[in-house]
Amino acid sequence: MKALTANTLREGEVVFWNKGAWKLRFGEAELFEDDAVAEAAALAAVNPTQIVEPYLIDVEAAEDGFAPVAFRERVRALGPQNHPQHGKQAEGGHDIEVIQHAHGVARSAGRHNLIKLKK
Amino acid sequence: MPKLIRLHGQAADWANDSFVLVGEEDAVPASGDVILSLARFQAEGAALLDDGRSVGVVLESDQAVEDLAYDLPRLSLVALRFPKFRDGRAYTSARLLRERFGFGGEIRAVGDVNREQAGFFVRCGFDAFEPADGSTPEQWLAAAHRFRHVYQRGADGREPAFVERNG
Amino acid sequence: MYRYDAIDRAFVQDRTAEFAGQVVRRLAGEITEDQFKPLRLMNGLYLQLHAYMLRVSVPYGTLSSVQLKKLAHIARTYDKGYGHFTTRQNIQFHWIKLADTPAILGELAMVEMHALQTSGNCIRNITSDPRAGATAEEIDDPRVWSELIRQWSAIHPEFSFLPRKFKIAVTAAPQDRTAAKLHDIGLLLRRARDGSLGFEVIAGGGMGRTPYVGPTIREFLPAHHLLSYLEAILRVYNRHGRRDNIYKARIKILVAQLGAEEFARQVEAEWEAMDRPSVDAPDTELARIRGFFNPPGFAVLPPKSEVFEGAKADPAFARFVRNNVHAHKQPGYAIVDISLKAPGETPGDATADQMDAIADLAERFSLDEIRVTHEQNLVLPHVRLDDVPAVFATLKAIGLSTPNINLVSDIIACPGLDYCALANARAIPVAQDIATRFADPERAELIGELKIKISGCINACGHHHVGHIGILGVDKKGEEFYQFTLGGSAAEDAEVGKILGPGLPANRVGDAVETLVDVYLRERKDGERFLDTYRRTGLTPFKEAVYAEAH
Repeated sequence: MKALTANTLREGEVVFWNKGAWKLRFGEAELFEDDAVAEAAALAAVNPTQIVEPYLIDVEAAEDGFAPVAFRERVRALGPQNHPQHGKQAEGGHDIEVIQHAHGVARSAGRHNLIKLKK
Repeated sequence: MPKLIRLHGQAADWANDSFVLVGEEDAVPASGDVILSLARFQAEGAALLDDGRSVGVVLESDQAVEDLAYDLPRLSLVALRFPKFRDGRAYTSARLLRERFGFGGEIRAVGDVNREQAGFFVRCGFDAFEPADGSTPEQWLAAAHRFRHVYQRGADGREPAFVERNG
Repeated sequence: MYRYDAIDRAFVQDRTAEFAGQVVRRLAGEITEDQFKPLRLMNGLYLQLHAYMLRVSVPYGTLSSVQLKKLAHIARTYDKGYGHFTTRQNIQFHWIKLADTPAILGELAMVEMHALQTSGNCIRNITSDPRAGATAEEIDDPRVWSELIRQWSAIHPEFSFLPRKFKIAVTAAPQDRTAAKLHDIGLLLRRARDGSLGFEVIAGGGMGRTPYVGPTIREFLPAHHLLSYLEAILRVYNRHGRRDNIYKARIKILVAQLGAEEFARQVEAEWEAMDRPSVDAPDTELARIRGFFNPPGFAVLPPKSEVFEGAKADPAFARFVRNNVHAHKQPGYAIVDISLKAPGETPGDATADQMDAIADLAERFSLDEIRVTHEQNLVLPHVRLDDVPAVFATLKAIGLSTPNINLVSDIIACPGLDYCALANARAIPVAQDIATRFADPERAELIGELKIKISGCINACGHHHVGHIGILGVDKKGEEFYQFTLGGSAAEDAEVGKILGPGLPANRVGDAVETLVDVYLRERKDGERFLDTYRRTGLTPFKEAVYAEAH
């Protein structure tokens, strides 16, 4: 499963795509079963005056919900661990708790279409 | 053909560009002013100059200006290519042309050339630009002269802060 | 401290106006993100995981009270009420909006500050000794030369699009508090036999993926030729540094590939060919800058203070003095370090309220000056011994009296994966865990000097290569793993640490540090620091102990 994410241009805020609109919470993200549909959405979502570098992330089923696979993406969906009062996690809620309690090893392979550093 | 902005002192204008850049595979036109790659110039330049043609050379960013030192007095222009604007080697090339070799012809910036670099270009001795971003001479000038003061000596004759302060 | 004149003010205003215009053009879609990114980076603005991050330059680590109050104001107004002091003596704000940045740069300009060249492939903020002008050790004031370089490097027409970033350190004391040998250029002030001033020039040090302790390329450069010699080094690097591979683009790779001797020969040849008098600043300018760094009106005081000595009856104060208070060149004064490493807190973070309180302290007790160290702490450089107890009491009240400078809990950590878009692993929680384990100040003092440095990726912002214990977060098939190095040093005895063994999962890092400390306490001989014991015994006893536990 995939979701589409980006940061807003003006604020740098983390956002998630849902059927033509950008949402503030991971819990509101549209989940794509079909990679081709996800990639089409990523192309359609490009809007250089609204957001910066949209990309797809891997999502997996977690207990009672869904969570990004990559640790990095969980951090983006939650906020920094050293300041629980900052970022998305501050508001709490079911989707946040699901990510906070997601089991298993997060794989960084969950990022797609990122600029790759030359090795 | 790309448009050319040429600097005249504190002014800048669209310029008529009489020079034709000769492609690597192309024959040199029978007449008119030409710009050649370094390799083509080393092979064919002397003959063209002897015919009284105006000749320029385009240097890639990894080519050394020292290779042109002997011929500079006879060259009309040197074009320095920016393959990406992040590649800053040509700034050094331009300063060496002006300050070390005393080149008085045109130094033209070609390639990934944008108005955000205008100030750097002018300070390093460039006086002609092929803007890749559609900038007008007015925009170019505004960007080039944004800073009222500078802190170092360049090839543009501006006095650095340490001279202004003690002048 | 240096103060701007009309030229400096105009320059920063012009720069702010330029960036404001670029932001407007970006928001309007006139320039693309690809075009805008290098422009915003040259103004210190990154897009990180949660928001934009603005890195503000603290020139060679010096701040006035007014400047620190402005940073507090920015933290409160445009961020979430805190800032993060970095290993480059700068400060970062982690929750910035792009649309606010022109206003922030405008506010900074009002107090003679900027974010110029805190990122990008240009000459970055100059690193210098946080005890400059206060320590008796130094042979000259390195800030004079740092300010000279700051101005020379500001929007340098030739060196703003280098192969990679470029960092210069200046120090004048035998004890190196700048990590000079790990910089692209390290400048060590020296006096020749005839008393004339010069620099030992080190080039090609660095951390990152391929760490090098920089070699000396010139034993003694007459001081007044500093700028022309720097220009020669930068010119050789700009022309010949690699541009095809981001990990091989730093000057250290060029110096290593050419060899220090050949690199030095090329620099000398360029320097000989240069019109040096046109590049070097005239003596009048040097004298002008030097004037700003004259001793700031010290009082004539007895070398001993009864108030100070008497206050040591309080064991907490005595401990603070032992660890955080250092000798000053002026009788009756002291240098007071403020640790931003309270166990359990984020290394290098300060809240807006703390910044305001420290600014007030500096105003009242430290001749208006504050310094930032590359170890992410702050310094009050000029405190009367009589006033140290009052300073301590205030620091205690705002949670900043941790007596742990150079001790095991004084940990360097980069922001890591909690904030940074480049990171592979978290660094802050690792530091918090370790520091909490060693929160007992008595135990920390018993262990003595021990520098732990943690980076969340190979870029090494946390200086892990030069930690006595270095910890590097890596991404091992998606899991956070931590690779240990031992025996590194950023000081005058600079050395790159050696890898201890295979990386450890996050939940074993704290135990491993405790094991390493236990081995040291078991093995150490009289007076040895952790680093000394390691140098005597080598890796083996440490390695055996850590990996024996793995089974």
